This record gives sequence, C-alpha cells and structure tokens, in this order.
Amino acid sequence: MAEKLNRRLGLPIALLIVCLILPFFLSPLWIRITTEVLMWAALAQSWNIIGGYTGYLSFGHGAFFGLGAYVTGILMVHLGWPFGIGLLASGILAALLALVIGYPTLRLRGAYFAIATWAFGEMIRQIAIILEITGGAFGMQLPSYLNLPFFYYLMLGITALTYLTTHILLERARFGLKLLAIREQEEAAEMVGVDTVSIKMEAFALSAFFPGVIGGINAYWVTYIHPDSVLGAQLTDFMVVMAFLGGIGSLWGPFLGAVLVQLVQRVLWLVWGEGTFYLVIIGGAICAVVLFIPNGLIGLMEARIFSPREALGQWRKAIKW
Amino acid sequence: MILEAIDLTKSFGGVMAINHLSLQVEKGMILGLIGPNGSGKTTFFNLVTGLYRPDGGKVIFHGKEITGLRPHRICGLGIGRTFQVPAPFGKMTVLENVMVGTFVHASTMKAARKLALEILEKVRLDDKADQLVLNVTLEDRKRLELARALATKPSLLLLDEVMSGLTPAEVKASIELIRELRTEELTLIVVEHIMDVILSLCDRIAVLDYGQKIAEDIPDRIVNNPEVIKAYLGERYRA
Amino acid sequence: MELFLQTLIDGLLIGGLIIVVGIGFSLCFGVMHIVDFAVGEWVMVGAYTGFIFVKYFGHDPMTYLPIIFLIFCALGWLIYPLIYRAVSGKRHNPVLMGLVFTFGLSILAKGGALSVWGYHIQSISTWLSGKSLDVVVATVPALRFAGFVFGILVTLFFMLFLYKTKFGVIIRATAQDRDTASLLGVDVRRVGGLVYSLYAGMTGMSGILIGALFSIHAAMGAKYSTLAFFVVVLAGMGYVPGVIIAALVLGLLQSFVGVYIGGRYTLVALFMVMYGVLLITPKGILRRGI
Repeated sequence: MAEKLNRRLGLPIALLIVCLILPFFLSPLWIRITTEVLMWAALAQSWNIIGGYTGYLSFGHGAFFGLGAYVTGILMVHLGWPFGIGLLASGILAALLALVIGYPTLRLRGAYFAIATWAFGEMIRQIAIILEITGGAFGMQLPSYLNLPFFYYLMLGITALTYLTTHILLERARFGLKLLAIREQEEAAEMVGVDTVSIKMEAFALSAFFPGVIGGINAYWVTYIHPDSVLGAQLTDFMVVMAFLGGIGSLWGPFLGAVLVQLVQRVLWLVWGEGTFYLVIIGGAICAVVLFIPNGLIGLMEARIFSPREALGQWRKAIKW
Repeated sequence: MILEAIDLTKSFGGVMAINHLSLQVEKGMILGLIGPNGSGKTTFFNLVTGLYRPDGGKVIFHGKEITGLRPHRICGLGIGRTFQVPAPFGKMTVLENVMVGTFVHASTMKAARKLALEILEKVRLDDKADQLVLNVTLEDRKRLELARALATKPSLLLLDEVMSGLTPAEVKASIELIRELRTEELTLIVVEHIMDVILSLCDRIAVLDYGQKIAEDIPDRIVNNPEVIKAYLGERYRA
Repeated sequence: MELFLQTLIDGLLIGGLIIVVGIGFSLCFGVMHIVDFAVGEWVMVGAYTGFIFVKYFGHDPMTYLPIIFLIFCALGWLIYPLIYRAVSGKRHNPVLMGLVFTFGLSILAKGGALSVWGYHIQSISTWLSGKSLDVVVATVPALRFAGFVFGILVTLFFMLFLYKTKFGVIIRATAQDRDTASLLGVDVRRVGGLVYSLYAGMTGMSGILIGALFSIHAAMGAKYSTLAFFVVVLAGMGYVPGVIIAALVLGLLQSFVGVYIGGRYTLVALFMVMYGVLLITPKGILRRGI
C-alpha cells in the first residue's frame, strides 16, 4: 500500500512523458533495451495482480505470454490476419485460458496452486513442442516488420495500460480491496460477502490478458518464436523475481524490480559476456529477498528504513534552521 | 421465526459434531448458545453460515432454505458472524477492514467509506480508523470483527465468544455495546462461556452437548435444569 | 504380450527408483510444510557431483554413493536454517515464502550448472551399463534393475528408520502435530533440519543412478521435479506410504505412454493425470494427504 507514492500523480505522468520522448534521444540499441524493460515491467505487474495482490503464486504464468505469442503468430502466418486483431485475440484467449484453468485450480490452497500452475506452464510448453501448427520444437517465423519506434510505443502503450488498470482496479476500487481481503483471510472474506471464487477468477483472467497481448507484440517484434524462447521457465522466473524484489502487492514494486533486474542482467552480460550466470544472481536474489526483505524494496521504503521523502523532509528541515 | 435449523447432522471422519440438531430462533431475540467445548457450537455456526455443508437436515432463513449455499451468498441474505479468534485482514487499516463488509450494500468506494465510518463510530473504534490492524489490541480486534460483520447489514448476527480474552472491564463495555445493537432490527445468537454475560444478555438459552440440544429455555430455568448442570454448569448458578 | 510385459517391468523398475525422490520430498512437506521446488535440482546436482567424481577420480560412479549421501546430507543441513528462516517470518505466508525460496534455489542451481557445463549433455556409465539380465520373458537392463534394487533398499532402510527407531517416532510425531511435539520437548527445528538433510542426501544419491541411467544436463531438474510433484500429488502430500504406490504408478504410466503412444507424449500425459488428481482428489488418490 504505497499510498504516498500513488497519490502523487505527478511522478507517473512525468515518467510517461519522459518515456514518450525518449526515442528521439536514444540510439536504436537503447530503444530496444528500453522496450524490453517496459515489457518486463508490464509482465511483472501482471504477475503481481494474481501473485502479489491476491496471494496466489502462479508459477506457470509464462504460459500466457507464450500463448499470446503463438496465437498472434498462428493467426498472422496461417490465417493471414492483421496484427492488431491477432493481438486482441491473444489477450482474449489468454484470459479465457486463465478462466478455464482457474476455475478448478483457484480452489486449491497455496502450495497446490503453485504446483498446479507450474505443471500447467510446463504442459503448455510440451504441447507447443508436439503440435505441428506451432512449428513444433523448431518454432515459427512471423512476417518481418522492422520498425523499432512502432514496437517501442506499442510496448509503452500496453505497459501504461497495465499500470493504469492496476492502479484503477486494484488500488482504488472495491475489486482491489476484495483481493487483498482474500489474500489476508480468504475464509473471513467469504463470510463478509466477498464472492471469492468469482473475484479470484477475474483477477487471474486479468493477470493473463496483459501477458497474452505482450506475447503477441513480442512475437511480431522478434519475428521468430520457439517453445524455449516464449514458453520457457525463465519467463516466469523473471516475473516472480522482479515482482518480489520490487515489492509484491504494490503498484510500483514490479516496475522497480523490472528495471533493477534488467539493469543487473545487462551489466552482467557486459562484464561476463552473454551467458547464463545471471540466473545464479536471479536465483540468489529471490532467496535474499525472501530472507531479508520479503516486502521488497517498496516495503523497505514504507518501513521507513529508507524513505526518500523523509530524507527530503529532514533535509528541508535542516536547511530552515 | 427468522432462523430454523431442522435436524442438522454433520460428521468429521468418525466424529459426529452435530447430531440431529433442531433449533428455532425468533426475530428480535437474543439467543444464548452454551455448552462444553466440542459440543458443536462453532460447528453449528459454520453450518448456518455455509462454511460447512450439513450431511443431513436443513437451514431455513426468513422462510427460504439456505442449506448448501455459499457463505458469501448467505452473508448477502443477511447473516453475519464473528470468529472466535479474530480474523482481520492484516495488511489493511481498520477502516478498510470494515469497508470490505460494506461492499455487499455499498456500490461505490465513497459510499463504502461513509458507511464504514458510521459503523466504526457505533462500536467506538472510529478513532483507530486509519491504523493498520496489525498494530491493534485484542479488544479492538474483537470490536473490529463485530464492526465488519455489522457492515454487511445483517438481520441475524452470530457472535462466537466475543468476550473471550477480555478483561472484566472490557467485557462490561462489550455487553453494553451488544445491548445497544439489539435495539435495532437485529436478532442475535451469542456463544459464550462466561455465564454472567449469557444470563444478563439473553432472552433464551439453548444448551448443546455432543452435538445435540439438551435444553432450551429461559435463563432462570436453564440454570436449574439438572441435565444442564450435569453436562456443563455445575452447581454454582443454581438459583 | 511380450511387449506388454517388457513395458510393465520397465515401468516398475523406474518407479522403484523414483520412490526415493518422492519419499524425501513428501516427508519434507509432512514435517515442515515446505514444498521444495528445487527437488529436481537436487537430483541434477547429485548427478553432476557423481560426474565430477568419476571424471577426476575414476572408478565406478556407484562407489561414490555413500560419499554423495554424506555430502548432500551436509549440504541439506547447511541450507535448512535458511529455509527455516524464510518460513518463520511472522507476517508472511510461511508456506508460500518457503515455496518462493526454494524456487529461487532451483534457479540458482540451474544457473550454476548451466554456467559451468552449458547445455552439453553428459553421461556417466557404470559396470552395469549395457548389461542386461534375462528374467523369464523379458530382458531387463542390469542398470535399471540395479536402480530398482537401490530404490527398494533405500526405501526399506528409510521405513525402518521411520517406524522402528526413536528418531523416526519423533519425526512422525512432528509431522502429525508440530505444536504438541514441541510441547513435549521436541526441538522441531532440529527435526526439520534432520529431515531435510536426509532428503537431500537421498535425493542426491538417486541423482547418480538417474545420471547413469539417463543423461545429465543442467535443465534436467524440471523433469524430476515434475516426477516428484506427480508422485506426491498422487500419494497425497505428506503421506509417505502412498509414495511407493504412486511412484510405481508413475513408472508404469510413463512406460506405457512412451511405448504405446509415443515418447513425446509422456510428459503431457503425466501433467494431465497430475492435473486431474489435483482437481478431483487434491488430498491424493487415497485421500490421506495433508
């Protein structure tokens, strides 16, 4: 509940404006990097909706991203549909899939839900490898569209939409409070009139919609997708670590987490060359966060262990004397 | 008759927690529910509120059968309940906790907030409205449980050991509060172990033992009932 | 008919080996309410450790079984306090925190293995590799048979330990009711550490056999986590005796699907069955789970 950060509309709007004009000042490499960071910020937030706010850890969430990628790919390549329709279909189908698997699995308690979603994620990947229409293990090629700014702004748009939706529905509306109630005391919430089954399903579907669309955008952007690239476990791993590091259940936590993790990953790549060592750091980071800062960095700020506002306030006080 | 439980049974594994229990509650009364631990009082509450499904029997509320309905629907129909061990929503403020309850009737956040504040005033918790529940005392948590249940605008309120863990002064304050509540269109079923509370508050008392109702009567006659004395009370309260 | 029997035996043999992984994992949950998401990674690290020993010291990998057991017990003993800390925060959902922590461990282990060995597939072979026995109508690869024997032996020892020793009683008591156990003087934390060490030791050991039977690669963990989850979901979380049956069912399912439908479909079949069980009888087929 970083209400103090939320109420200050100024910061998000400034951030948005900066992002809007950024491409004019950046080299193509950096535009690409920023697009990726935005993508992860949105993915982490999507996970946060079901994992952080509702308290149901979805360990197979990458499946929605992959599904979106393949749906857009299949619709464009095999049916010749336009990209925009493909995106919409991706989002809707991902949400539908979430409803379908959510109905039985959201009944399960914490650990079981995590295992069930993990299994689901792996299953989707296996299915993608087996099916022909997805190109099997070799993946599929989408039509090429080389327009970096297009994808940048598209990604910015969906990310902004994700955050705006989270802000409105989860921080400001009854929906969000109900989710929190479910997370804290599900039985008591039910007793007090909250239709926990419906609300959980809605949250899950919402949390799947955005990754679906983003998966579609990513597919068209990178033009080549295969089971490991869009359905691999690392996708969920990243979403989880970003949300946790930044602060689950908060609006800006995932953003912070995404930026930091991407930063660390790229620095590591620079220093050690593209490799897999960053996974060690990611894994270690998750462990460290759970052990030392379970509320994430946002939690640290709220607990006044580190508060920029307070620091500013104290400094202001000091200079008045 | 606002609530009627007809021949309820419920078993867990081999244990029969509720054994052919029938109970009728008249509108506007305060019914006390007493009995030794394990006699089925909380299970009865769970059956009425829909947390458990009875193995047999029916629950009728306002003339309509509610057996097997999901708890949130039963809540919407007008039954509220507090838990023996308070289960507040930890990472929210006191006000937000109550607001969740108001969502049954309030359709906007603004209306919810307003209603929640009114209820907090009624239970005298309004000064703590913006405190995180984690930082709040047991007595206040019990009040909060009550407030949250009241927020759903129930016509029947089930109170499960609201007084346990409170000091005598706090108990007195709680009794006052409950008396105040009763003057509105609210029927209460109160589970308590503190006999003085039950005797002073309730119009009628039902006694459970091993999942069965062994007596139901006005307080004066209950304390003299030999079955009740044997099962639960002991000789102390005999008039 | 011959094919059927062959498939049947193959399945049972593999199942026998998997029991080891399943038992430790199940007990972990039963005693400490921790779902170790890194279970498959313990197998993987065990396999790689065996590989390292064979590479630098020679000899048959099977000879390293006892050492691996001890090493991994020690590793488990060292890691457990961290897990304990993760699940002991007052404000946070302990089961979920344990989940996420072990999730992090699995990523760490996988990343480490990938960084050292990359995506190359390694293998180790023992004196039993390539040999086979003729049992009535079927031909049984000697190594698979050894794996089965290993599984049965470990299970036997473990069950004896659990049901016939003082420690075993303590562990079972703690699994049933932690609070009462601690009231009776049981150091619940120590018990957890012991259980986790044993689990790590057993699972690491099984890694060697699995490594010899199948291939060793950094991403193999996911497969064995799946198998472990499957076994435990079928058996009921925390219900150890059910693990034996469940592991055998798993072996049979995998074997039959592999032979009669196609190797590519085994994992999907497993997932579907696991899913079905989770939804229909979440407490395991015998409904004895927690």
